[in-house]
Amino acid sequence: MNFIVVGCGRVGAELALRLYKSGHQVVVVDESAVAFNRLAPEFRGRTVEGEFLSEKVLERAGIAEADGLAAVTNSDTLNAAVAHTARAFYNVSNVVVRNYDPSLRTMIEAFGLQTVSSTSWGAQKVEELLANPSLRTVFSAGNGEVEVYEVIINPQWDGHTLGKLLELGCPCLPVALTRAGRSFLPAADTRLQTGDILNVSTTFDGLGALSERLAAKPEA
Amino acid sequence: MFVFITGGGRTGAQLASLLLAEGHKVRLIEHRRELLARLHQELPTEVIYEGDASVPRILEQAGLHQADVLAACASDDATNLILCFLARSMFNVPRTIARVNNPRNAWLFNGKFHVDVALNQANVLAHLIQEEMSLGDMMTLLKLRRGRYSLVEEKVPPGAKAIGIPLKDLGLSDQCVIAAIIRDGKVTLPRGDTSFLEGDEVLAVTNLEGAQQLAELLAPSQSDGPQKGLNRV
Repeated sequence: MNFIVVGCGRVGAELALRLYKSGHQVVVVDESAVAFNRLAPEFRGRTVEGEFLSEKVLERAGIAEADGLAAVTNSDTLNAAVAHTARAFYNVSNVVVRNYDPSLRTMIEAFGLQTVSSTSWGAQKVEELLANPSLRTVFSAGNGEVEVYEVIINPQWDGHTLGKLLELGCPCLPVALTRAGRSFLPAADTRLQTGDILNVSTTFDGLGALSERLAAKPEA
Repeated sequence: MFVFITGGGRTGAQLASLLLAEGHKVRLIEHRRELLARLHQELPTEVIYEGDASVPRILEQAGLHQADVLAACASDDATNLILCFLARSMFNVPRTIARVNNPRNAWLFNGKFHVDVALNQANVLAHLIQEEMSLGDMMTLLKLRRGRYSLVEEKVPPGAKAIGIPLKDLGLSDQCVIAAIIRDGKVTLPRGDTSFLEGDEVLAVTNLEGAQQLAELLAPSQSDGPQKGLNRV
């Protein structure tokens, strides 16, 4: 497929290389030729130097035939403007925007564009590992607002039901329970065993509530 | 009218002062410390809102939803485009006007970014200069409709081609109307059969092409030299 990467910073150079290695046609655009020095030597895609919002530059990059465009400069306003241009002027079907400053995320969302908030996502990952080292994320939806975590059932919950663990306003949805290498869909009345691996879908706040619940002794 | 201005550089600040003097309600939003210090010296405190205009929540707090017009005056084109889009799509602002800094970005300033009026500063200035150069002794009194039409004045010099020919026979373009003739200190409203006399002050409402045609008809006889007027101050 034909992809355009707008902005050749660290994210842009890495993204361009990955897309190229997966066998796609890649064009990287940047205002400064020096930025292309960040591209790995094995990258064999095309580079276009020029102003990001110039019609000529975008057309030289092949925007009319692009299957997808990623706007990954470190300016959120520029990313939103380039991405909206790709969609509204050239009907590029798949447009993804990097959100750099978390306070500007709502601005990008107002355009209805697919957004990746690398800064806040990274901070949240680090926070999770610092605050809840025993819980592992196995799947991250959107920008990490909802994630699927892996929770290991401790001895004090042995014999109690899943319903009891998740009761009382804990905003968690059970996804799977793995016992002795075999997984199944658990029900509220499934009795937990020590060492069971429970996958739950929840928010960061829900995860906190679940951790507290696991640490507490279940009421009789 | 409530005018919401984004970008507190020279353009935004100048516009704010101008609108305040005309009695409009104005709010100017700016977050750069170095500009805010100067803005506070030039404008009343209640006009200035300190905050980043790219953040929708801040635009809401600053009252954008009540604005009649958004004037996006930042020196960054992407910011101006984004603001016009947000103003219409999130805050229903009825009219958006944006400054185009780089003429190469002008193609984006249209309905797709909810820009109602785009002012391409380089273009506007270049046209004004070009016009000044092409019009000899003609004096522009007033610009109408973003400079596309002007009220111009010129004195009929000796030997001008147009002297003695009735206006209706001058072949003036329909984009040029002779509005008044000042003769011997009196204002005359001309008709088709009126003709110019040497020393008449001619007032016309016209576009650039009409003005050029009029300038040619009112050019002095060749002996004055073609460059006259170029170095007028």
